[in-house]
Parts: sequence; C-alpha cells; structure tokens
Amino acid sequence: MKSKSRTLMMQRLALHAALTPLAIIWLFPLWMMFVFSTMPDYGIFSPDIVLWPSTNFVENFKNLQADTNFLRAMFISITVAVIYTVLSVMLTSMAGWALARYRFAGRSMVIAIILGTITLPFAVVVIPQFIMVAREFKLANTWVALIVPPLFNSLGVLFMRQSFSMMPTELFDAARVEGVKEWRIFLHIALPLARPTMAALSIILFLASWNNYLWPLLINSRPGMMTAPVALGTLIGLTKVSWGGIMAGAVLLTAPILFVFIFLQRHFISGIAAGAIK
Amino acid sequence: MGAKFLGVAVSLALLGSGPAAAQSTDITIWSWNVAASALKSTLEGFNKKYPDIKVTVEDLGNSQVFDKALAACAAGGDGLPDIVTIENFEAEVFWNRFPDCFADLTELGYTPEMQALFPEFKRTELEVDGVAYAMPWDSGPVAVFYRRDFYEKAGVDPSTIKTWDDFLAAGKKVMEANPGTVMAQADFNGDSEWFRMIANEQGCGYFSTDGQSITINQPACVATLEKLKEMKDAGIITAAIWDQKIQANTAGKAASQMYGGWYEGTVRSGSPDLAGKWGVYPMPSLTADGPRAANLGGSSLAISEASENKEAAWKFVEYALTTNEGQVTMLKSFGLVPSLLSAVQDPFVKEPQPYWGGQAVWSDILATLPKIVPARGTAFQADAESIYRAAQTKYFANDYPDAKAALDDAAKQIETATGLPIAE
Amino acid sequence: MPLRNRIAYAFLAPYLLIFATFWLWPIINSFLISFQNTRVNPWRFSLTVNWGRLVADPAFYNALYNTLIILVIQVPVMIALATVMAVLLNSPLLKARPLYRFAFFAPVVVGEVAYAAVFRLMFSIDFGIINKLIGSVGLPPVSWFDNGTAAMALVIIAVTWRWAGYNAIIILAGLQSIPGDVYEAATLDRVGKVQQFFHITLPLLKPIILFCVVLSVIGTMQLFTEPFLITNRGGPGGATETLGLLLYRQGFTSLNFGYASAIAYTIAALAVAISLLNLFIGREAK
Repeated sequence: MKSKSRTLMMQRLALHAALTPLAIIWLFPLWMMFVFSTMPDYGIFSPDIVLWPSTNFVENFKNLQADTNFLRAMFISITVAVIYTVLSVMLTSMAGWALARYRFAGRSMVIAIILGTITLPFAVVVIPQFIMVAREFKLANTWVALIVPPLFNSLGVLFMRQSFSMMPTELFDAARVEGVKEWRIFLHIALPLARPTMAALSIILFLASWNNYLWPLLINSRPGMMTAPVALGTLIGLTKVSWGGIMAGAVLLTAPILFVFIFLQRHFISGIAAGAIK
Repeated sequence: MGAKFLGVAVSLALLGSGPAAAQSTDITIWSWNVAASALKSTLEGFNKKYPDIKVTVEDLGNSQVFDKALAACAAGGDGLPDIVTIENFEAEVFWNRFPDCFADLTELGYTPEMQALFPEFKRTELEVDGVAYAMPWDSGPVAVFYRRDFYEKAGVDPSTIKTWDDFLAAGKKVMEANPGTVMAQADFNGDSEWFRMIANEQGCGYFSTDGQSITINQPACVATLEKLKEMKDAGIITAAIWDQKIQANTAGKAASQMYGGWYEGTVRSGSPDLAGKWGVYPMPSLTADGPRAANLGGSSLAISEASENKEAAWKFVEYALTTNEGQVTMLKSFGLVPSLLSAVQDPFVKEPQPYWGGQAVWSDILATLPKIVPARGTAFQADAESIYRAAQTKYFANDYPDAKAALDDAAKQIETATGLPIAE
Repeated sequence: MPLRNRIAYAFLAPYLLIFATFWLWPIINSFLISFQNTRVNPWRFSLTVNWGRLVADPAFYNALYNTLIILVIQVPVMIALATVMAVLLNSPLLKARPLYRFAFFAPVVVGEVAYAAVFRLMFSIDFGIINKLIGSVGLPPVSWFDNGTAAMALVIIAVTWRWAGYNAIIILAGLQSIPGDVYEAATLDRVGKVQQFFHITLPLLKPIILFCVVLSVIGTMQLFTEPFLITNRGGPGGATETLGLLLYRQGFTSLNFGYASAIAYTIAALAVAISLLNLFIGREAK
C-alpha cells in the first residue's frame, strides 16, 4: 500500500514538473505584454532584463491616445461586437431551429452548403466581397460593412441545431396541438431552453468580432472608423510611436476578454469545443 | 526671423489666392512620420492666412497610407481624406489604375507658371497627358548621416571617404574603436533602400527612365548589389528595420545611416540629446571619380476627387508647396527637402545648423540636387520591389552563384509579372 | 407540406440571404474575376493572364512552399503539444487545475494584433527579452527578423503559442467523453499509463484530432496576420510570405484583383483537398 502511494506521489510530481515549465512559457508573453505596458520606452529598449512591472501605464496610455484615438476605436469595436453577436445569434439559432425541427424540401442541400463552407477559407471571398461591399454597395467605412458580411457562420448553425435536436419533441408537439404558432414555439419554448448554448455561442462570436482584423482593415480605411485592433495594427512600424503605448493598447484589448474568460470559462470552453470559431 | 519672410509674403500676395472662405471648413490629410509632422508645422502659418480652414493631419505610417489609399480608390474613392501624401516612385499605380480617383489640379488653379516652379524630373511621374494628379513636395537627395564622435575616436576623416571601398575600410576602423557599434544599418528585411540609392547613384534602376523596359540586371545594378553584399559580409552593415534604426541611433549603436535628406528631421527629432554629435557627408561612389548623388523618396500631395472641399484642400496644397514660407517651414522643422526651386535659394539653407555641430548641412545636401538622375517607379513598382527583395535575400544567403544571376532572375520575374521587356 | 416548407424557409431566410450575398455570389464572382486582366482600364477577359502567371510565378511557389512548410512543421507540433496538454490537464492527480487551464487557454482570447505586437517586442534583435535571455546563457543573439529560417521559426512559434490551447480545449472535451471504465479495466490488467495512452486514448481521440487538424489546415492555408505584423509583411525578402499574404499583396498592394482571385481559388482548392485527404487517411487507417 505504501509503495503504491509513493508511485502516485512520484507520478504527481512528474506531472507537475512537466506542466509547470510549459505553463510558465505559455503565460510569459501575456505577462510581458503587461510588463511592457507599464514601462517607459527607454525601459523597453534598455539592455537590462526587466521582468517586473513599472509605473508608466497611464503615461503610456496617454501616448497611445495621442498617436491614435484609441478610445473611439474601442467604442467602435465594442459596439460592433455587441450588435454582431446579437444578430449572429439570432440568425444562427433561427437557421439551426429550421434544420433541427423541420423536414422540408431542400433540407439536405442546405446542410450540404453549411458543411461545404466550413472547409472554405475566408480568403476565397475576400476580394469579391471587398469589391461588392465597397464599390457596388458603396458601404466602405460604415457600420453595416463591419457587421453584416461576417454574419455568415456555418459552425454556429450546427452548434444551435445540435442543441435544438436534443430537446424532446413532445414539448413542441404539445404546444402545436394547442394551436401555438411556430414562431412563438421557437421564441417562447425553444430559445429559453437553448440558453446555455446561446451563451456559449455569444461569447465565442463576441470574441471573434472583437479580434477580427483582416476584414475591418480592408473595408474601413478612414481612421475615424477603425476598430481597436486595426488602430493598434496601424501603429506597428511607425517612426515616432510609443511602444509602451502600443502595449497599453494591447492590454486594453486583452484584459477585458481575459477577465470575462476567467469567470465564464465553462461557456468559452463549451463554445470552442464545439468548434464554433477558427 | 520676420524680415526673412518679407519677400515670401510679397510673392504670396502675387500668387493671389482667393479670399478666405467665410464658413469654417474641415480638411483631412493622410501622411506619415516626419512628413506628417512637417505638414503640421505649416498649419500655424496657413491658419494665419486662412483662419477658417481647419486642417487635420493623420499619421498612418508610410505603407498604410499607400495600402489604404489604394483600397479607397478601389472602392470608388470612398473613405479617402481630402489630401493624400503619395511617394513619387509609388505614384503611377494610382493614375494608371484609377484615373478618376484624384482631382486634376490644373482645374483647381495649378497654372503652367506654377508648374514651372518645380523641376521637370519631379513632375514626370505626377502628370499624365496634361492632367496633373499631384504636386511635387519634397525630394530625397541622399547623404550619409554620421556620428562625429565615433568617427573621430577611430581617426576617420569623412572627407577621405570617396568610394564604397573607403567606406568599408573606415567602417572596420570605426567599429574597432567603438565596440558595440555598427558602421551602418540597412533594411534588408522590409525595404531595398540601399540598393535603390547606390543603383540610382550609378544611373541604374528597376525600370528605364521612360518606364518601358526592365533594367534591373544592367551592369551598374549588378555592381551595386555585389558591393552591398561585400559590405554586409564584412559586417559593417547590419540589417535593421526603420524603427530599429531609430532605436540604434538613440542608443548610440549606429555610427552612420544613409538616407534621403529628409532623414535629417528623423535624426534630429528622434535623438534630441545627441545634438552636436551628428554630421553629414556625401554618399561614396563605386569608383574614385564616380557620381556621388542619388535620390531616395520624395513625395507629392494629391487631392481626392471625392473630396467635398477641393477648394480648401487646394488652398492648403498651394500654401504648403508653392510658397517658400510653407516649404522652408517644413525644411526647418523636419528637414523635408523642398522641390520648389526658389526655396532651395532661401537664406536658411546656407546657415550652419547647431544640431549638426555647426555644419551647414543643407547647402551640402542640396548641392547634389542638380546631379541627380531620375529613377522611374512605374505602375509596377510594388511587383518589382517585392521581387527584388526576395532576390536580394536569396543572394545574401548565397543561393545564387553571383549578383548577375540574382538580378537576371529578378528581371525575368518582373517580366513575367508586368509583361514589360527586359532591356538589352 | 408547402406550409412546412414555407415555415422552414422563413426561419432560414435571413441566413440564406447573407450566404447568397456575401458568400455564394462572391465565390462565383471570384472565379469570373480570375479570368479578367484587372490591370487595364476597363478590365478585359483573358483566359491565361492570371492562371498562366500563377503556374510560372516564383513568388507563388515561394508562398506555397512557405505555407506548406508551416503546415508540415507547425500543425503536427501544435496538435501533439495540444494533445499532451489536454491529457495532462485531464489527469486526476493534477493540483491547481484552474491555474494551468488558464495558462494554456488564455492565448485563445488574445487578439492577433495584440500578440503580434508583443512578439515583435519580445523577439526584437537588440533589445528583445528573448535575445537577452539567450545572451545571458552565453549564446549569440538570433536575428529573428533578418534571417529567413529564424523568421519562419518565429512565425511557427507564435502561431503555436496562440492556437495550441485552442486545440487542447477541443481535445480535452473529447477526452472527457471517454468513459472511465475503459481505463479501469486496463489498469486492472496492469497496462501501463503510457501504453494506455497509445492503445486506448489515441485511437478513441482520433476523430477529434482529425477535426483539429482540418481546422488548423484551413487556418494555415490563409495565415495572414502573423507574417503581416510580426515579420514585416512576410520578411525578410519573402521568406515568411504565405499564400494569405501573397493574396493580400496582389489584391491590395499591387491592386491586381484578377491575379489575387486566382490565388484565392488556389488557397481554397488546397484547403479543401488537404482536409479531404486528412479525413480519407483517417478513415483508411481505421
């Protein structure tokens, strides 16, 4: 018995010995992001090894705000992410509901489309999408251009469909017998039951929108309509830019999401585990 | 100070811009780095004359201005600011692909007399069939910016550096006397500036001056690339991107940098603590009596066709670029070398500069201006540039037998990409 | 019957509308544009101007090569690492599990721009913390941005850091769905932990790992932000230029939409082909 608990001890020790360095390496860039954001530029570019935060964060943020209007960019990012998330959850749950609950003509084709587009990279549509939105619809530098084109999300539909399929059919049949309209069944019975799934999906969609870079970079050329990642990306490579400021921006982009992540880890993980984004 | 501008004020009155608009107008300009700062420095003088035009200069960084302006033109001009800064050698792709994206300045008041205020070579890329898409702003006569103290410590007199071989030998001495420094830095990673500068000095470029054929594998270009590798392999030039160069300047890790004259402002505003320690000398040549003048960079201002305030935008362009007052302000504040012929004669040019240890750097730099051979960017600049960079990287890594093979390959690739013939 | 169709399509309508407008039509349009010479005004139809250039363009082969190198090195390394992470995180012996989970999963929420900026600073040649640490153990500094191989390694390191945790989450979820009694039986039969991993866990995880591989392949085929922001637009000299970056450069720097569309189609075709190949291999081996 004693030898068994000793092997267990050894195993436990080996496990932690393997995981701890890996975890430290993994946390290191995040820690450095934070450290850099509190250091003046001459500290960042000094020959010393500095691993501990300094006190320059507010100063750095002021520099950032002077280099680019970061607060406005944050506001745009937040607004876009919120509207996008609400619309996208609506769209994907409606579509998921239809696929889960109705046998209709063309259903297999719709499913084929959804599965087919999962393997298609965004790259294949980016050029024509840009031409269409910018030149034909004249929507460059608008909120609509930021929000609407990325709404198409196949994995979200599959995610919602799975959730609706797992609900007992009797629930809905009973309502139908009583003559409740389909959209009311969806809205008042099905959606409330799908709440956990919707929560997970919302978080993932919010994250995707918040971090989206390529599309907003292309479609919104006017500095007044830049999202926060785009505004920050613009600063990388400028001459007289404050790197401490860029790091302060990086922290502001990351910290809120990280904070949410700590408290809603379960939803995050179930959303990602379903493969809802990439 | 005031008296100096008397003549300017008179010539301004003669140029006769219309009366200031009654209502306040906002105009926006995209620019980058010191160019943006320089534009900002003209606003005080501009607003004295036009108090009702509010100008906002947005610094987006060089490559972003180019990318975003192109994307905006592709979107039909939507999203462009009123005025865009366009680097001359990248300019032609705009007029070529989007002839309607920018306003014809001749319709806004750019008269032939005004055009004659600028040298011919600055205008060739900006005007197509009588349509003037942009007005020349600054040019970039190349000079070597060096640390006096580092050179002195090594006993190197910059006036004896006449060839690149001299530069190489001096570099070894300087680096030996100043441990931890490098003689010079080049952006072998994200740019091709050293090749373009020396090639231009030797009368060679990616394309012929008429823009009709590919000349990158001509003997002068081959000799340039060979010399560049020799200096890199000797360790006197190390690779550094733009911001790394500035960090190295400030940290005292670079003994010299070579760039267009506009780098004066970058050194001076980037490392204010090093006043008196920097100096300037003309770029060396490949041969002892070879040419020692080249151009790198230099930009122009264009007004977007979609702008709702073209009149106000024109007033700003006119003030900033066609008056000595505007151009000399930018020269003083951020070292932008005027294209305006009369500004080059300004008394300020001859003054010794305190930051530069009392050297009259501007008369030294501007003296090379008349000897510069124009280098044509063409509409295919972006393609040629990335092909050259890839060939340069491979050549430095010894993936080609020699420089000739590297540039022959680059020429062939540019031919595939552009459809232009390779010059005999 | 028609009523049921009507109701179903009413629910699907917004989604299908977005699909038709922003995906279906662009995909078709992209194909058409790839046969246009877009460097003349107005555009002219040409069967070969873009596709002919594509098969002869060294820049395309360079980007393809770089992308495939990342695919072949980064994806297996990352998936292996993610599997190790997931298995270790799943161990009942682990203390302070939330802390470890946070360490590995946190990069998933970090935006590409934010982490690109940090990596640029950390790997800066003269002042970067990584080179300082390398120097402190007496090794020469690495020119992360100026040496093609080092720059490629940097991109691979960055992408791995960002996405390993993401895959670990998916694999962990898969692990947790394996019933515990499978292991109990094995333990009773005195099968070692390592043996259990290779003979029980891995085969059961296979579909999940394949799913991760497919997602990673799609991601790698269009990899853009990392080489764009960290290694200076695919530098040095195109050594880290990926297909995604080449597409951006041709589309939005050279403004050659036709050629960029041909590249886009190639990316899509390769992504689909490699994904199918993966699934096929996965099925064969079963």
